[in-house]
Amino acid sequence: MIDVPSFAELNLEVALPGIFLALFTTVLLIVDLFIPKDRKITTAHLTIGALVVAFVLNLPAFNAGETAMNEMFIADAFAGFVNMIVITGAIITVLLSVDYMKRSGIEHGEFYSLLLFSVSGIMFMGSANDLIVVFIALELLSIPLYVMAALRHDDVKSEESGIKYFILGAFASAFFVYGAALIYGATGTTNLPEIFRAIAGADGIVATENSAMIYLVIGAAMVIVALGFKVAAVPFHMWTPDVYEGAPTPVTAFMSVGAKAGGFAGLLRVMIIGLPLLVVNFGDAVETMAIGETITVPSAWQTALWLIAAATMIFGNFIAISQTNVKRMLAYSSIAHAGYILMAVAAVGTVQITKVAENDYTMVAVYAESALNGALVYLLAYTFTNLGAFAVVMSLENNDGSGTMLDDFNGLSKRHPLTAAMMAFFMLSLIGVPTTAGFIGKFLIFDAAIQAGLIPLTIIGVLTSAVSAYYYVRIIVNMYLKDAAVTDEAVGLTPYVNYATIVAFAGTLIFGLFPMLALDLLASSGAQIATLLF
Amino acid sequence: MTFGDFTPEAFAFGFFTILTLGGAFGVVGSRNLVRSAVWLMVSLFGIAGFFVLLSAPFLAAVQVLVYIGAIGILITFAIMLTRSMTNLKERFNKQWWLAALAALTAFLLLMVTVIVPTWGEMGAEEIPPTVASTAQLGEAFFSGWGYVLPLEVASLLLTAAMIGAIVIAREDD
Amino acid sequence: MVPLWMFLTVAAALFVIGAYGVLARRNAVAVLMSVELMLNAVNINLVAFWRFSDPVASVSGQAFAAFIFVVAAAEAAVGLAIIISVYRSRYSVVVDDVDMLKW
Repeated sequence: MIDVPSFAELNLEVALPGIFLALFTTVLLIVDLFIPKDRKITTAHLTIGALVVAFVLNLPAFNAGETAMNEMFIADAFAGFVNMIVITGAIITVLLSVDYMKRSGIEHGEFYSLLLFSVSGIMFMGSANDLIVVFIALELLSIPLYVMAALRHDDVKSEESGIKYFILGAFASAFFVYGAALIYGATGTTNLPEIFRAIAGADGIVATENSAMIYLVIGAAMVIVALGFKVAAVPFHMWTPDVYEGAPTPVTAFMSVGAKAGGFAGLLRVMIIGLPLLVVNFGDAVETMAIGETITVPSAWQTALWLIAAATMIFGNFIAISQTNVKRMLAYSSIAHAGYILMAVAAVGTVQITKVAENDYTMVAVYAESALNGALVYLLAYTFTNLGAFAVVMSLENNDGSGTMLDDFNGLSKRHPLTAAMMAFFMLSLIGVPTTAGFIGKFLIFDAAIQAGLIPLTIIGVLTSAVSAYYYVRIIVNMYLKDAAVTDEAVGLTPYVNYATIVAFAGTLIFGLFPMLALDLLASSGAQIATLLF
Repeated sequence: MTFGDFTPEAFAFGFFTILTLGGAFGVVGSRNLVRSAVWLMVSLFGIAGFFVLLSAPFLAAVQVLVYIGAIGILITFAIMLTRSMTNLKERFNKQWWLAALAALTAFLLLMVTVIVPTWGEMGAEEIPPTVASTAQLGEAFFSGWGYVLPLEVASLLLTAAMIGAIVIAREDD
Repeated sequence: MVPLWMFLTVAAALFVIGAYGVLARRNAVAVLMSVELMLNAVNINLVAFWRFSDPVASVSGQAFAAFIFVVAAAEAAVGLAIIISVYRSRYSVVVDDVDMLKW
């Protein structure tokens, strides 16, 4: 007989935001059929309404910390914060899409359903407690994005960007599952806390000479490669500029924040919950330790992420300097920002090794809560700022996709003073100037990296931030100090785009001035992750 | 197992290996894409054989019905619809030797790190003789004590893929 | 029974052949077929690991493999739709021709 759990045992209510959004999406698909072609704005309104409801439903997640559905789903402050980031990002994206889709002739009601599918994929990713769920959620977030990138039939660039994104995304997925299979082979389970327990052994003791270890190392490396593709980290970034340039601008905007949030959520879940005890290089210190002595070593993936983060920050920022198309410049800037977040991920995990007796060590995973908070707050700040920047780029973009070059920003302060002022503020936030949200994110990340002893990486971070000022300030200079070659109106500057820009501006300003708003929400996240493990 | 005792199982394994890897080489090496598609089906059939050897008959059936039957036919249709691609002048891009080098390195790396540690381990004696039944697999998918969340998310994924394919492929009216 | 390492070797070989196809083939449909090979290699790995670890109490490896079927089907559907759409607009789906590709 099948043993059917009751609804209470399934604990479905903690997954309510995701379930609601997924259900709404399928209903929206049907409702949209009855909305006449010239009134698709209704679909957009319904979408925004649903996202707001999901936002409200998500608020209790910040003090839940419970698992659901056979331990596959977990609702904690981390998940709640990821949900908050992606829902906010999606609301701004819908506001951006309404008029853009209409004027470029690709207005489909299904667009909003696809967007919501992708959003629910990211939400399940943030709550995933099992490798299978991470994988399926990764696909659910990616597949609608492939479609949305290729949406402009009339534009060859858009279709090319779709095919390129698809091929590299599918390639990365194959790497992810191969890595996941190796982790499964080493531990015999796909559940992330179970993987942790299998590595830690029954009493928290790890066999240092374990043949399964090499499986885990290769598996973790493949997972990092795959998620590195998703977040556009060097050297897995090669799709980013072309895809960002070719895709419809609202899609690019969502891709730059949504896929990144999802990728980082998956990376943090797998690494922090599943593989924190993965250590390959014990160093010489372990040999000479006295009994009872404790040393701290980095997790195996910390070293790998260190290198990737450094390469990503340097490459992204330096290539961005030479770009003349602002959409492309923002793509390289998006690569660079992935580097800063990777720096926080690298700073999260260290392992304390204690020598109990001769040839007998215990290992404890230590989480730098500040680094976890830094990564999440940075993602939030980046979401507001980058969506705002894309909103302004979109206002200047012509119907045929032109109008996004640097020179098109000349004299914007005279034509549209308010938009220019907000754009300047977004640029300052991307650099990380105080009073902006970007500053708070960068400050938390650099602080966490210093605490974790990643001094050289922090120096690289600060120096590349200074380099980035060059190409961000250049836009401000163009807007304020140069004269416009053209005087025609910005076609994209419609009320909805203005709302989006103002929402993004408000978010960037508010979290810049009152960072405690975000940090209070996160106060319990690190503690929750730690208690769930032990 | 040693290579000395040549059991029917070892024979079957060898046969399916030839199908799988031979088919795979056919897929990446064929000039004509229709041939590639047929080789793909051969390779997938070999993998279905592996599933039988590994006591996973349900997956073997799914492999034949869904993979060979549905995905294979889908790919063949796509090739037919884009007819001029069936006879390609150039199979490989200019970096094919670089890709070959990378693939060979990756294979050696996997052999050294993943395969050799398990060499000799898990011989015939250590394998559990019985396995979970297909009924247990079904229960695990649908009972709520198993994979109910991934199952639901997977159903969303299929819906999203279907909608996405329609949105992309339909002519604008 | 055939030992575990033999299955893992076949899977590793299949995975790298697929990876080679993705990196070296010029035609997008051929690239898609190569991705399918890679996913199938993973399935061999999963089912073999499952069979040789704890196949009585748990079905996790088989279940994971089944989800990979789902993803493979979804990827094939979306991928072929995009490929056909590109073909319709330019009568070619050679990945190099879909240029500006710097990879």
